[in-house]
Amino acid sequence: MIVLGIDTSGYTNAVGIVDGDKVLADFAYEAKTDSLQRIVADIDATLKEAGLALSDVEGIGVGLGPGSWTGIRVGVTVGKMLAFASGKPVCGVPTLEVLAFTARDGSRPICSIIKVGAGDAVYAACYHPEGDFLDRIGDYYVGDVKGLTGMLTGSTVLAGKDVKEYARVIRKESGTNVKAVEAAPGGAVVACLAAQRFARGEKDDVLSLTPLYLKESTAKAFVNKYKRGHA
Amino acid sequence: MLVLGIETSCDETAAALVADGKDILSNIVATQFDLLKKYGGVVPEIAARRHTELIGYTVEEALDKAGKTLDDVEAVAVSSMQGLIGCLMVGVAAAKSISYARGLPLIGVHHVEGHIFANRLSNPDLPFPHVCLTVSGGHTLLLYVKEESSYELLGTTLDDAAGEAFDKTAKFLGILYADRNTGGGRAIDELSRKGDRLAFNFPRPMLRNKTYDFSFSGLKTSVINMFKDRIAAGKKLPLADIAASFQEAVVDVLVVKTLRAADEYGMKAVSVTGGVSANSRLRSAFEDACAAKGVAVYFPSLSLCTDNAAMIAAAGHARLMRGEVSGLRLNVVPNSPLEGLDERDIN
Ligand SMILES: [Zn+2]
Repeated sequence: MIVLGIDTSGYTNAVGIVDGDKVLADFAYEAKTDSLQRIVADIDATLKEAGLALSDVEGIGVGLGPGSWTGIRVGVTVGKMLAFASGKPVCGVPTLEVLAFTARDGSRPICSIIKVGAGDAVYAACYHPEGDFLDRIGDYYVGDVKGLTGMLTGSTVLAGKDVKEYARVIRKESGTNVKAVEAAPGGAVVACLAAQRFARGEKDDVLSLTPLYLKESTAKAFVNKYKRGHA
Repeated sequence: MLVLGIETSCDETAAALVADGKDILSNIVATQFDLLKKYGGVVPEIAARRHTELIGYTVEEALDKAGKTLDDVEAVAVSSMQGLIGCLMVGVAAAKSISYARGLPLIGVHHVEGHIFANRLSNPDLPFPHVCLTVSGGHTLLLYVKEESSYELLGTTLDDAAGEAFDKTAKFLGILYADRNTGGGRAIDELSRKGDRLAFNFPRPMLRNKTYDFSFSGLKTSVINMFKDRIAAGKKLPLADIAASFQEAVVDVLVVKTLRAADEYGMKAVSVTGGVSANSRLRSAFEDACAAKGVAVYFPSLSLCTDNAAMIAAAGHARLMRGEVSGLRLNVVPNSPLEGLDERDIN
């Protein structure tokens, strides 16, 4: 099954194509503020380079985030509207899972980390590898790196950008044995994880697919806080 | 030529199908009213999230209502210029994807040009050249329209847009409807019908100024000051009279300046568009003033005054007919002048 994967959730924009377990194309570049401008043209170029047209694609995988709110909106909207207009199935893949898949190391648990905009907070999730599949352990996490230590069980791989620094903090904080593996969201991995779900007969509803923000927007958080304060 | 229009520049997620730039087959507007009410205005991040959730449903609804499928669509037009950047991006991402997947021409449209074309949809006989006043919560522009899609800016607001002044004043007066997404303009319009528009003599900002520019923030302030003075003096607050008098001041400035421009340019036709053009007092004042001067005045039908995608499809159709097509690298431009559109903005 030929699957197109895209991710514009953060510091990397990625387009990849897989056919079964064969990677036909995997293109990534540093994301600036030009994700919207580039992504569809990049999809076209990547398909052409692989000698394919969109009509050859049998399914679309899209990175849901978390990450840049604008970035994930662009990626998810492109992914779902391409699927809508071409009548192909779509599957959203959490970007934290994409990072975990990229950084797999035997049977060690993996904790993927994505920085939240400016500031010290991170998005994170822990995964357990079962062969080629990943099981998420527990909930998604939003908070400071130190707070992550409670989620880590034994020797864990930290996956993401700048994880060496996070590993240092965690070792210092809790003495947990963590190994840092730099990883960026790749298009082929998004496609591969979507293909796994398609193979299990799963897909997402095209029209209702939305990004995985993990954080309410500031205005909403403000209103909620205000309500709580006056309850 | 069947064009799919997409509009997400502010707080309405909209899609429409328009044939040959004139026949509206469907015009779907999904409003974000429930959210607006909760936050007391447009929060860009929340509006953008909502657009992402609604865009697919809205496009599908536009196709269903028209009894068409994407196979019938021949081009995709989208608001790409003027609006909230994060909101515009959702519509452009959707339009690009549909255009690419179906091999259809893509046309980026200036949102305000859409409002101007709303009047062409309602009045196919609207002549060129003419003077156009386009007024909404986001813009107040007086334009000399030489021919289709050729604009010369005569004047604009130096501070608040006219619709913004209506919204802020209605909010201050506490007369916004709790259960209807009508905005401050509609609330003031309806309350004003019960009031005396000559009860209070509010200032007419910039009326005597030789330029065609406008200013509305001082007017809003004088309403607020008068309101506070009356409270301090223990006087009654005749809300309907205040609303009607405020509205009359805004309408007066808009009508007088527009007709002065029509006079100077020797125009026999005036076009009034945008959300504020739904205001009933603005319409009757324009009709009276234009009739007295022998000038014809045109308004869009009420459903085409506020943000919608039919107007974007119509404006896109006109550009497409002139061979103006955008590429897959089309970007959004949150602040773009209407006159002399830069080729880089369209492509
Ligand atoms: Zn508008």
